[in-house]
Amino acid sequence: MALLSLAVAHDRKISSVINPGCPQCSDNTTLVYVKCEGASDTIHQIWDFTRGIPTVIFAVAGLNSTLTITWVLEDPKTFELSEAPSYSFAVALDKLYEYNDLDDNGHYDPKLPHHIYDLDHLTWHRNESNITDKEAMVRLYANLYNENTADFGTIWIKLDLLPYKDYAAELPHLIHTANSTLFDVSLANLSRSCGYNASRYALRLLLASTDAASQTMHLTVRKSLDDEHTPGVFEVIEIKTPALYDEEVGGYLQFRPVGYVQPERGVASSTVAHFSYFNRTNLASNSTLKRFYDEYAKAKLLVQTMVVSFGEGGDGYYAQHNYTAWSFAAGYGLPPAESVSWFVVLVLSLGLGVPVMMTSLCVAFAMVRRRGQPASRIRFDNEDDD
Amino acid sequence: MAWWISSQSKVSFNAVIVVPDIMENPESSERTGAEPPASCFHPATKAHRFIGLVLMCFLCFGSYFCYDTPGALADNFKSDSHLNTSQFALLYSIYSWPNVILCFVGGYLVDRCFGVRLGTIIYMTIVFIGAVVFAFGVYINAYWLMILGRFIFGIGGESLQVAVNNYVVVWFKGKELNMVFGLQLSISRFGSTVNFWIMESVYQWVATYYAGYERLGMALFIASLTCLGSLICALILGWMDLRAEKALRQPEVQIKQDQPFHLKDILKFKSVFWLQAVICVAYYLAIFPFIALGKLFFERKFDFLPQEANTVNSMVYFLSAALSPFFGILIDKTGRNVTWIILSIVTTIGSHSLLAFTFVNPYVGVISLGISYSLLASGLWPLVAMVVPEHQMGTAYGICQAVQNLGLAVTIIFAGIIVDNYGYFMLELFFLGCLFVSLIAAVLIYILDSASEGVLNLSPSARESLAK
Repeated sequence: MALLSLAVAHDRKISSVINPGCPQCSDNTTLVYVKCEGASDTIHQIWDFTRGIPTVIFAVAGLNSTLTITWVLEDPKTFELSEAPSYSFAVALDKLYEYNDLDDNGHYDPKLPHHIYDLDHLTWHRNESNITDKEAMVRLYANLYNENTADFGTIWIKLDLLPYKDYAAELPHLIHTANSTLFDVSLANLSRSCGYNASRYALRLLLASTDAASQTMHLTVRKSLDDEHTPGVFEVIEIKTPALYDEEVGGYLQFRPVGYVQPERGVASSTVAHFSYFNRTNLASNSTLKRFYDEYAKAKLLVQTMVVSFGEGGDGYYAQHNYTAWSFAAGYGLPPAESVSWFVVLVLSLGLGVPVMMTSLCVAFAMVRRRGQPASRIRFDNEDDD
Repeated sequence: MAWWISSQSKVSFNAVIVVPDIMENPESSERTGAEPPASCFHPATKAHRFIGLVLMCFLCFGSYFCYDTPGALADNFKSDSHLNTSQFALLYSIYSWPNVILCFVGGYLVDRCFGVRLGTIIYMTIVFIGAVVFAFGVYINAYWLMILGRFIFGIGGESLQVAVNNYVVVWFKGKELNMVFGLQLSISRFGSTVNFWIMESVYQWVATYYAGYERLGMALFIASLTCLGSLICALILGWMDLRAEKALRQPEVQIKQDQPFHLKDILKFKSVFWLQAVICVAYYLAIFPFIALGKLFFERKFDFLPQEANTVNSMVYFLSAALSPFFGILIDKTGRNVTWIILSIVTTIGSHSLLAFTFVNPYVGVISLGISYSLLASGLWPLVAMVVPEHQMGTAYGICQAVQNLGLAVTIIFAGIIVDNYGYFMLELFFLGCLFVSLIAAVLIYILDSASEGVLNLSPSARESLAK
């Protein structure tokens, strides 16, 4: 177990490709396959947008394992790993909720009036991509349509894998590692439904892992002393799969409870991200996840959902800025933790060291001098006499 | 000639009022020819002076109350006015800018131009106008107007304290003077404390009638009523003072600052004085910006509710109001100012470390911070009078106030930028850095004083015997 943990902490060699095995695929079809080869295992990542629902699948298998995808036109039909994965988990963004926040506190409550938009009909357009041996990144957008097929806004998603441990360049500066992918989602210019004066939007995350269906994901709120990388936010929220929770090897989601209401992210444009309890569900029959896990994990698959909502009382609801963005990191292995930077150590050492050194030198000097002139400070004698 | 050390301002706290020998107590023998008091409201009676004392105590209540209204409503400035921390911090910084200069001329204008009565009323009016302009700026969500309001408020706020100190000297020169200075400071500090206690409730009440930035503006309009109250106190006190002057045939006393500011004195100051000035700046940087930005820190790191965050934030002022007189007596009795200063800086470092590096209940850190701060103020300011000749005292205290205001003006902006870009942990580290600088300065004072066999760290009896 210790060896395994050590292995997953190392950087990995990545190789990635968009739509592997599908020369006929257009720019409106995006499936990114990222192979992350480590010292003792290989993590196969699949970022799929082909069936509307943004999906990230992690499958951990042996060093020389390979993944083959077979396509029918622009539709990935099967996913064949050369060996059965030792562990797999996945996260998907399958629904968007619009709710009329009559309580004005930002929390999504199913009792509030709400609409649910399934994202399986979305068509994702690839806006930007960077596929090299140092980074795998794609940025896509999809227009949302309501029941009247009218365009009512845009969802942007950016997936990014940087194969080393560091803080992400953009707020909330989550930690990325060779074992994780940064998932960033923005809701831009969404127009509210008729009759809703207090519209807010929430995202439903679907989490799947090759754990027993009777188990549950674990959510922990960890307090961090250091808010250097996410100013004003001291909490780190971690969702661990049962395997990670029990045996320290499994999948995780890590995020800060903060969203942003403007594209220029900062403390002033931050808002609170709220999260719900887990609910159990099943995979949709036409989903990529269903196709993937039907191959390997028919008997053993845990599937749960969680809703993340945004906003705080008195902020003017979503309409105030017509924009909400949120980020999380999904990864395999132990979630990374913040460490005290060298700058902090330097300030503390200098700050405490210099006065202590000065005092020591002064005491030493005084002792030497007093030995030479034993009666130089008679004032203290007078004081005692008083 | 006596030097009366009093707490003077929000940022500099302790200034010196020089009481010339010609200053007389209204009850002293100089009132030759005065009729015996006809009633308890006669200007010569203690009751009359007691009423005056009450009015003087509440003269600065309004300005202290309004100084910290942004701090008490910090989260609302973010959510209603959408200010980031840098913009918010500028609301505090702009208060200090005019006082880099005004601490030299504010007192002079009272002495030579306005007189105590008119000076107090003028400064109080400026403070009130500043508070109203600031509230109006928030009410219409115009950031430039908020800044203008705080600037006007700053022009009046510091000079007002000088004027009020003059009132205290005019009315209470004699045995009660120290006590009155202490009481006046405590009530002023209490203004800041009460602000932190009630503004959240005021805001919540206003929020039932108004929304968005308008509710914040209305809450600040209500807060500015405390300045109106103080202005009424100034008017009544002015009338009483005029009446007393006529009844006692005592011309309005012009407090002559016979130690005026002389720039060339700067060259003559000893290095120990400059080290004290370093402490004046560096230590206070770890106190006032912390209180200004503290509310959100307590809310976010320790999950405090807004009212709880304000209560814990108010503890520094509250303890300062309650403990300063006792620590004054302690320092008077024990001397050894430098040791007390080093001790209080070390305990302040401990307090900030608790807040920065642990999740221990912040009351522990803040209460020890308040105690340390009160102890430092009691030990530090009398020290200036010990190292500077009497005729350079005006310059010395002026310098201390000016550099302190300058330091605060610059640093509060810097603190806001730190919070916006690097978070509260780095802000705490910055405060610790400031405290380390002040600790080094204090240790250097100790070394220099010991090396020159100075009196700064002796007990009172040792000082006396040395003086003989």
